[in-house]
Amino acid sequence: MTIKVLAFAGSPRRNGNSETLLDWVLASMAEDPDVSVQKVPLTEANINICRGCNACEKLNMCIQRDGMDIWHDKIIEADCILLSSPIYCMGIAALPKALIDRAQVFRSRKYVLKLPVVPPERKGKRLGVFLASAGQDWSNVFDAAIPSVKCFYHVIDIRDGDISYLMINHVDEKGAIERHPTAKADATRLGKTVIAELKRRLAA
Amino acid sequence: MVVTVLGISGSPHRHGNTETLLDSFLDGTRSAGASVEKVVLKDLTYTPCRGCNACHKTGECVVKDDAIALFEKILAVDCIAVASPIYTMGITAELKGLIDRGQYLWARKFILKTLYFSDDHIRRHKGLFISTAGQNWDHVFDGAFPAITAIFNGTGFEYYDNIIANSMDEFKGIKNHPTALKAAYAKGIEVVGVIEKLKAR
Repeated sequence: MTIKVLAFAGSPRRNGNSETLLDWVLASMAEDPDVSVQKVPLTEANINICRGCNACEKLNMCIQRDGMDIWHDKIIEADCILLSSPIYCMGIAALPKALIDRAQVFRSRKYVLKLPVVPPERKGKRLGVFLASAGQDWSNVFDAAIPSVKCFYHVIDIRDGDISYLMINHVDEKGAIERHPTAKADATRLGKTVIAELKRRLAA
Repeated sequence: MVVTVLGISGSPHRHGNTETLLDSFLDGTRSAGASVEKVVLKDLTYTPCRGCNACHKTGECVVKDDAIALFEKILAVDCIAVASPIYTMGITAELKGLIDRGQYLWARKFILKTLYFSDDHIRRHKGLFISTAGQNWDHVFDGAFPAITAIFNGTGFEYYDNIIANSMDEFKGIKNHPTALKAAYAKGIEVVGVIEKLKAR
């Protein structure tokens, strides 16, 4: 059994706090020999923004030819999809928002065309993980990001209850997360928990 | 003194519901005597914030593109109307891309302390958020407000009001909405009147 893990690193800053958090989770997951991990930095993913043309409601595909041609298929194939983003101006950064908006094709498939996103037997066997970092120390700093994240997972057939969150505030400068008292341990534990849960569900 | 109004259309879809609602607001301000300009983000060239934090030291963005010229324009007007449809429970990536680029102003305000808006300045500068959503949920706009608050705070505008209309899917477009376009027009007249009074003091 190979468990396919697909991870989108959403920060425009490479190897910053949110990506470090992602790397910790992925390293913990990859310790399991059954896990195959693909990490996609969105800075290199070639994803244009959604044009709002609604053509996908008729065509069941996007009219734009770009990196999403690849990521679309990978999103369907994956058992676990992770997304990491820093919080900028109280929301997710523009790069991951572009990815999320391009998931409109899945929404059209699901709700307009009434076609399956994943085969019925894979429903409930996919898990999502959202990781975020924020410079602000406000406890509400992640609130506006979550509805968009839930939408993203919802349209790719990952249920609300199957999304795990690890969001660390009060880390701003590059490397600040390394000094956080619990982030690394929490990320490591999260990786293990998600893979254990996936194995349980895939075996069922 | 003539009230200056800048409309910013953040939709990738030209002349759709949100831009039509923005146009109605701008027509209202024009009818009240304002000098009006509309910028369509789709026509500009700018990249997302790189998160390099160089502006924290210099107060300047290392990326020189249309975003900087637009922020200069925003800082020069009395009223801004920022418009975006709701995509997946938030503003568009296009508008979020612009808002994030305002980090250099945040750095000037809070780190370098070279930019300061007095309470009086903020009171005289009004920002409005204009949006439409296909969904009929009341909370569909909630994810947008914090980022809009951020751009208004960063550029010295009071968050004056929202002009928002949901259920576009059910109405089959803003033109069939019973009140939204008229309300936006009236809001345009109202805000110009308010700013004129404040400027005359």
